[in-house]
Amino acid sequence: MKGCGRYALIAAIIAAASAIVAPVARADETCLSPYTAALIKGQEAYLHVWTLGEKGVGDESDKLVTIDADPKSKTYGTVINSVSVGGRGEAHHMGFTDDRKYLWAGRLDDSKIFVFDVGTDPSRPRLVNTIADLTEKTGFVGPHTFYAIPGRMVIGSLSNNKTRDGVTGLAVYNNKGEFLSTHPIPTDNGGDGYGYDLAINPKKNVFLTSSFTGWNNYMTDLGKLIKDAEAMKHFGNTMVLWNLKSMQPEKIFSVPGAPLEIRWSLKEGDDWAITASALTSKLWLVSHDANDEWQAKEVGTIGDPAKIPLPVDISIAADAKTLWVNTFMDGTTHLFDISDPTKPVQIFEKVTGKQVNMISQSWDGKRVYITSSLLANWDKKGADNEQVLRAYDWDGKDLKLKFEVDFFAEKLGRPHHMKFSGPLKKASLDMPSGAASR
Amino acid sequence: MTKAKAGAFLFRPYCKSLIAAAGIFAAVLPLRAGASTGPPPPGSYTLDHIQRVPAGIVLEGTRFPRALSRYTTGAITLLAFFYSYCVDPNGCPLAWDAFEKMREEIIARPGLHGRVRLVFISLDPAHDTPGMLMGFARRYEASASIVPWHFLTTYSNLFLKPVLRDMGEEISVDREASGGGGLVINHLPKVFLIDKRGFVREIYSNQSLDPAMILGDIKTLLLEESKAGGRKE
Repeated sequence: MKGCGRYALIAAIIAAASAIVAPVARADETCLSPYTAALIKGQEAYLHVWTLGEKGVGDESDKLVTIDADPKSKTYGTVINSVSVGGRGEAHHMGFTDDRKYLWAGRLDDSKIFVFDVGTDPSRPRLVNTIADLTEKTGFVGPHTFYAIPGRMVIGSLSNNKTRDGVTGLAVYNNKGEFLSTHPIPTDNGGDGYGYDLAINPKKNVFLTSSFTGWNNYMTDLGKLIKDAEAMKHFGNTMVLWNLKSMQPEKIFSVPGAPLEIRWSLKEGDDWAITASALTSKLWLVSHDANDEWQAKEVGTIGDPAKIPLPVDISIAADAKTLWVNTFMDGTTHLFDISDPTKPVQIFEKVTGKQVNMISQSWDGKRVYITSSLLANWDKKGADNEQVLRAYDWDGKDLKLKFEVDFFAEKLGRPHHMKFSGPLKKASLDMPSGAASR
Repeated sequence: MTKAKAGAFLFRPYCKSLIAAAGIFAAVLPLRAGASTGPPPPGSYTLDHIQRVPAGIVLEGTRFPRALSRYTTGAITLLAFFYSYCVDPNGCPLAWDAFEKMREEIIARPGLHGRVRLVFISLDPAHDTPGMLMGFARRYEASASIVPWHFLTTYSNLFLKPVLRDMGEEISVDREASGGGGLVINHLPKVFLIDKRGFVREIYSNQSLDPAMILGDIKTLLLEESKAGGRKE
């Protein structure tokens, strides 16, 4: 926050005496927690990429790779830093703390969580903490989603340490990395107990969770998995609506075929969220009905579901008018017009790789980044196993390639999740000595 | 075989059975009759023990040192960091608005009298001296026995920074915005709800500074106290 003008607070105090707390804007950087500070609404300076180590590639370790994303920089489009964390544990997703100083990054296999300081110098993130007690404290395995709430991190997991199927739950840690509480995903009343993403709507005091599959499946070679009829029964088919304050589930929605990323509309006044089901290739809308009850409804189709394109990530525009969708199997990036979220219409598609997974867009929607890796054991084999990050400009008509980083050629590994950082002067949260003691 | 066909070949048999299995569920399954998504009833939920408030030395009214714990234990506390000349409507004034509203709510509820305190700690100890802050405190003296509002500062940045760091309230000086002469201190507006034993039990940001929700949390802590102590609310 900022202040401007000394002594003016007295006027503010007088006004405050009769004021009601102003409604708050649900600002977001299109997919971040609404509690995240320092949103980047201009040009992002750095791209942090949580990268899976690969045997025979570089140091073979999982790592946080930082790429210069500022077109004015001499090192634009190149890798400027890499922090290896040791070993390979299925690096997957990341999330900022509420103050955006730290980035938590999880591994789905060994359930370790690595905390990087990206606020002090975002061009050179530092590993400052490793949290290794998630399974011991919660019984959960596979920390997937890291979602900031004030002073804490909510962690959505994918599995458990008993059956290693998809029954799991949420864990809450404080920003120091200390465990606070667990919240199991319901297994009764139609709940399957499975987890994946979570997304909060603070104004409505609710959040949603989605469902994927457990360790037994996500750590199995895809070719082998799909031949195992019993294993293939163990995918999530539900979303859950939770009361945010009580952290208690309130409704279960039937959403067949592994609903994955959840995005709330960021437009002021909107109260709906959208998701894509990976296996059934559908878009689902969660919103109020005429009786002010939350409902989930199938609203669209992605590609040809019969061909199983496997939509794996979505990215909503800040104005909630469009939605990017990446389909892994056919390497295609789709754009849907969702200005009427009950009737999404595809308006663009382009093959952006041999396999494409994550997709992230800038706040202004002018830049779009994609990565290739889904899961180490699910990525394609042979020549189709390209491992790249591609950066595009979106001019409203076409995606124009700006740069590409070949993660195998650079001896890095498999690129997965991406997060942005602003330039150093904006990101620094350190109080200069003497500033407050003039 | 094309890639798309290969994908279809791999997944089609599974998907058919998956969709069929999913069909056994109703479209929406409420877990609780009459469930709503508003604030839950006080006492129906638990607030995490997020962290203990750190030790620290603060000043109130004079330059005599006082333990921070004097202001964060023994009663339920709402605590926020501020600086007296901050005017960003999304910053300190937002916390100030919320504190004013909470003060009114507490005054209106005799059951809460003397059980909740309000605390502001300055982010600029050089400017916000104990004497200067007394001017603010005097405005609320009349209701101090019902709901005291303490305006605290520290000797210097040296005393302030460890408290800020431990509370996760990191700050920086906005050099660009400060160029006009006035100092501008960037910080996340957070309000900390602290229980009688000095544990932070909730943290509100500008997304969640809802007086009704804060009041529910205060009542929840009081119910928790009464259960622990056998006292009837």
